[in-house]
Amino acid sequence: MIWHLTKRELYDHLNSLRFAFTTVLLITLMIINAVAYLDAHKARSQAYRKKVSASLDEMRSNADNLYNLVIEGPGNLYKKPSSLSFCASGGEAFIPESVRGDRATWSIGGGGSSLRGIWRMSYPQSNPNLWDIMPDATDVDWGNIISIVLGLVAILFTFDAISSEKEHGTLRLILSNSIPRGTVLVSKFFAALITISVPFLIAALLNLFLLYTSGSISLGMSEWGRLGVIVFIAFIYLSIFLALGLLISSRVNHSSTSLTILLLIWTVWIVLIPSTLGALAGGLQPTRTREEFHAQRMDPFEKLRSEDGTGLNIPFLSRKIPATKETVSWAEYLTEEATVNERLNEAHVNAQIAQIQLARSVTRVSPASSVHYAVESLAGTGFTRHVQFLAQVRRYAGEFRAFLIEADRADPESPHAIGPKEGTSEKPVDFASIPKFEDRISFRGAYTAAATDILLLVLFFAVLFAGAFLSFIRVDV
Amino acid sequence: MMLLILIQRELLSNLMTFRFVVAMVVTLLLVVANTVVLIADYERRLTSYNTAVQQHAQKVSEAETYSEVEGKIRVDRPPNPLSIFNAGLDRRLGNSIHVRHTLVPTLWDTQSHSADNPFLSLFSSVDLVLIFQVILSLLALLFAHDAIAGEREAGTLRLTMTNAVSRPIILLAKYISAMTCLIFPLVMSVLLALILFSVSESIGLRADDWLRIGGILLTSIIYLSAFYLIGLLISTLTRRTATALMLAMVIWSTLVLIYPSLIVFAVNRLWDTSSQLEAASGEIEQIWERFERERMDFLERDPVEDDNTGYDILKGPGSRGVFEPSDSTTLKYFKAESRNLRGVNDDSESLVPHAKAYYQFAESLRIRAAERTGQVRWKALEQVYVRKANLAKNLMRLSPAPMYDFATESWAGTDFHSIADFISSVQQYRQTIINYFHDEGIFSSRQWFASDQGEIDWGDLPQFSYQRTDVSTGIKHASGDMACLLLINCVLFMTTFLIFVRQEV
Repeated sequence: MIWHLTKRELYDHLNSLRFAFTTVLLITLMIINAVAYLDAHKARSQAYRKKVSASLDEMRSNADNLYNLVIEGPGNLYKKPSSLSFCASGGEAFIPESVRGDRATWSIGGGGSSLRGIWRMSYPQSNPNLWDIMPDATDVDWGNIISIVLGLVAILFTFDAISSEKEHGTLRLILSNSIPRGTVLVSKFFAALITISVPFLIAALLNLFLLYTSGSISLGMSEWGRLGVIVFIAFIYLSIFLALGLLISSRVNHSSTSLTILLLIWTVWIVLIPSTLGALAGGLQPTRTREEFHAQRMDPFEKLRSEDGTGLNIPFLSRKIPATKETVSWAEYLTEEATVNERLNEAHVNAQIAQIQLARSVTRVSPASSVHYAVESLAGTGFTRHVQFLAQVRRYAGEFRAFLIEADRADPESPHAIGPKEGTSEKPVDFASIPKFEDRISFRGAYTAAATDILLLVLFFAVLFAGAFLSFIRVDV
Repeated sequence: MMLLILIQRELLSNLMTFRFVVAMVVTLLLVVANTVVLIADYERRLTSYNTAVQQHAQKVSEAETYSEVEGKIRVDRPPNPLSIFNAGLDRRLGNSIHVRHTLVPTLWDTQSHSADNPFLSLFSSVDLVLIFQVILSLLALLFAHDAIAGEREAGTLRLTMTNAVSRPIILLAKYISAMTCLIFPLVMSVLLALILFSVSESIGLRADDWLRIGGILLTSIIYLSAFYLIGLLISTLTRRTATALMLAMVIWSTLVLIYPSLIVFAVNRLWDTSSQLEAASGEIEQIWERFERERMDFLERDPVEDDNTGYDILKGPGSRGVFEPSDSTTLKYFKAESRNLRGVNDDSESLVPHAKAYYQFAESLRIRAAERTGQVRWKALEQVYVRKANLAKNLMRLSPAPMYDFATESWAGTDFHSIADFISSVQQYRQTIINYFHDEGIFSSRQWFASDQGEIDWGDLPQFSYQRTDVSTGIKHASGDMACLLLINCVLFMTTFLIFVRQEV
């Protein structure tokens, strides 16, 4: 019986203007997305490799002297572009693509000796968005096609599902047969789900076909798996809005009222709430400003300042083995300066991340945000990915530091007091033995990260569908 | 007379509907919530601006020689209170800029002082114009879709016409009453926002800001009227309300949400500009190479022992900095030098006139090179970035929603022209400083490179002051889009009128 009713609804839908609109819209958007990303991944991978090799060349030229490596550090460390970025651009314009592991901004010299700060990690605070004069717009990626377009389309298909049958009296006709009301509702739900899913799937496959045949992406097991989950998310999200549409449609007597309410809910919930709440939650937990962080910084010249505070005393260090007490104390001082200031940089970026995490949790009251966050983590772009990248960078920084100590220990002519030139080995280092940073996109965490959002979406759906069911059962015909 | 009765009837039937009440309540709630958030945001930016101004003034006074001021003079752009209406580029673009004689500042040299957390831009901002743009246009279409089709279905249209009412009067009555209903939430929203403004003490509106707000209101009315007329046209063309409603929603979502984003996305992705910058980048490097050659020629003509770079003419304790930043995406490239000798060694004292002549020559040369690169750079950046943005904007103008956005942006003074106006006043300020340095003979003074003869009185340095452009430029840039919107209105009204008059009821 369900199938019979569903079929009736399906025929109705397939002949309608809204079905044509949905199909045209989804296919246009997906094709434009594919065309825009045709060369994007190749170009970005190329740029990534170029930057990485430039950074490695610099490291190679520093490798002729261990002291240089101690000062200059590993150089810029870059984030690897994801092959699924067409699914979610993840606000890449706002997120820095690299972390700098390089020299301190200070050095002091004169009178035969010089001191320089040793390398530390620092996190870029600006983004290309500062000069972007293009008008504001939303990216046409899968995330937005799902969250904005599928939601709208779902409303267009369900706003009159029950209210117009009520208006025309056909609902009474159907219910006069001995069909349970639940069956009617479920068949309406499935009919709309199938009608929208078919053009969506066709458009999505067309998109993948274009990207795949042009050689812009390679689709392996992992990609198919993640794309499958993304499509699954699209279906749940679609179901949420179908359920919402059925709920409102069964509560209201006129289709036009039902559409008004649904469209208002949709604009507020999907378009406006995520931004407003994001900005609001950002204000709830303000981070300290850059200047405030700067004020906490350890003054590198503290130990150098003479008693009366006017001039700077530069110590005369010697290359004696074992290291003199003075060399050791300066080595400790330089290490401390780098560590303290690196930790401050890290605290700054951590505070910023915490602020965004809070804002993201709050915006999850809108299912559109949940969809974005889930698709982002599955596509390997966006904020979650950036946090993952930062964790990798920090692990690598530890490895690099350990390597410097190891390499210095291997040199019998070094006083083993890393920091000042006089206390550090000046032997060339075998470039191949230096640990190199390679950014790996790991999707082990991606499914777990997405799972929370998917659960949230399922919860939304369950509540709304139960609501629709209950209110339809109680409808007076 | 008949018109008044009809208007009254229409007004009542519009006002009493459920959809009007819901849309009104939602609009007002959103306006209040967002105004509160936006005012808090504005206050944060204002505080940030004030601290930045103080800090940057402090920084200048820390310089001990005139050449050390290189990279230390920084001016800031104050936030625009009207960005609450339309944020435009005001919030997004960099708001702090270095003033140096070695680089003509452009929009692409700005930094941000208020970006306490750059990641926060992941959440786009909702301003009041966006709320009007999305929600009130929706309401306009909902009012319009059944205006004719609904009456035709119900048969009341025939009834009305049996009275001696001419068809234009009916149309006019419908238009006037619906517009009144649309203007009501609009005006209420603006009034609520203004009340919240006055509660917050940080927002000081100037006299001409009221004119700007008036302009925004007027543009909003024209915009809503355009959407109402689109709906009315659909309503006259269709036989059934359900079809009219569906068509209206399809058009609304395309015009307001999908089309603008699609255009920006396509232009951004498909317009590859990286190659166009390379030529200009080479040209700029050549200009600086020529500068370097001429500088070396000068040193050869007037040689000093132990020095062939010009950096060590004088010996003594102190510090020296040579800057050569380079950025290929913004074509930022220049060579600058700062020197601070805390004392001059006795054997170098006789070379001081040499050094003075050298700096006088080199710095004037640097200024000339900077002017020349400035021209090349501006031409290239304009061709790449500004033209791209203009292309996107012009394509977007096929939909009334972006036109409304652009016009209100110009009214609010948060559009590209207003930011460019700030940049040009920074360029003027740079010229003032250079003139001041020339007039006072600072480039050839000992204080340019040495701090051994007392501190510099930075109080004499010309100060930067910036006033937002007055409203006339706003009117100038908004008028084009407003005229377009009006034209759309007229065309739609005429079409609807012609169709309606000939139609059988």
